[in-house]
Amino acid sequence: MNTQELTPKEKQEVQGTEQVQPGRFFVPEVDIAEDADGLWLWADMPGVDPDKVSVELEDGVLTIDGDVSLKPYEGLTPVYSEYRVGNFLRRFNLPQHTYDPDRITAKLVDGVLEIRIPKAEKAKPRRVAVSAA
Amino acid sequence: MTLMSYPVGGLLRLQEELDRFFGKPPFDLGLAGPNVFPNLNVFTDQDGLVVQAEVPGIKPEELHVHVENGRLTISGERKAAHADTSFHRRERRYGRFSRTIQLPRDLDTEKVQADLRNGLLTIRFPKHAAAKPRQIEVKAA
Repeated sequence: MNTQELTPKEKQEVQGTEQVQPGRFFVPEVDIAEDADGLWLWADMPGVDPDKVSVELEDGVLTIDGDVSLKPYEGLTPVYSEYRVGNFLRRFNLPQHTYDPDRITAKLVDGVLEIRIPKAEKAKPRRVAVSAA
Repeated sequence: MTLMSYPVGGLLRLQEELDRFFGKPPFDLGLAGPNVFPNLNVFTDQDGLVVQAEVPGIKPEELHVHVENGRLTISGERKAAHADTSFHRRERRYGRFSRTIQLPRDLDTEKVQADLRNGLLTIRFPKHAAAKPRQIEVKAA
């Protein structure tokens, strides 16, 4: 039984990028795993609507980007704050020509973005038959 | 004051409003203060008090919201999925959590509503009818 206690973590602001839109961006926390067929990536993006998230792989850079919905804040006046609210942005370098940008799939469920990045066919490990001489 | 729903300036305005109240409790948070999961943002609206928490990856059935004796408790467990996979990065945290705060006395805790959407928990407590502001008509003598 897992009795580990979950602790809160302060959101980190995105550094080193210039935005056109006003408003701060935060770095989503991620888990990244690999299996024989590709990568899995999970990113926490609470408050983002599924149609406001974009996932893009171009020139070996994976960009994930989600705009927080302001609808839950309509008519509200803050009186106390422990966490900051903002859009999410993060980029990762992936080895070039290893993954197939056309077959990436992503879904956002319960505020978690799940991305599947399949390996390109030529990058998959292949079993080479060794024939006896 | 109401937040604008204007799409461009809205987020910045919300962030500035939240900054003004960052880490300054206007009321007694009771048993467990900050640094216990989940972090909370507290708002007022025209009906009463609104408490929000970001709980991504937690299903509604794994999240418990409990109100008793004027105290709000949010508890549950964020379970680690894909435990059998080999990870390159593991930044997301898992485990059990429970946080209790003391609520202001003028709220009608019988009429609490909780809603979980896109990993954002919103709990609304209306004020007792007697505690709501009323306009009193002034009659000429």
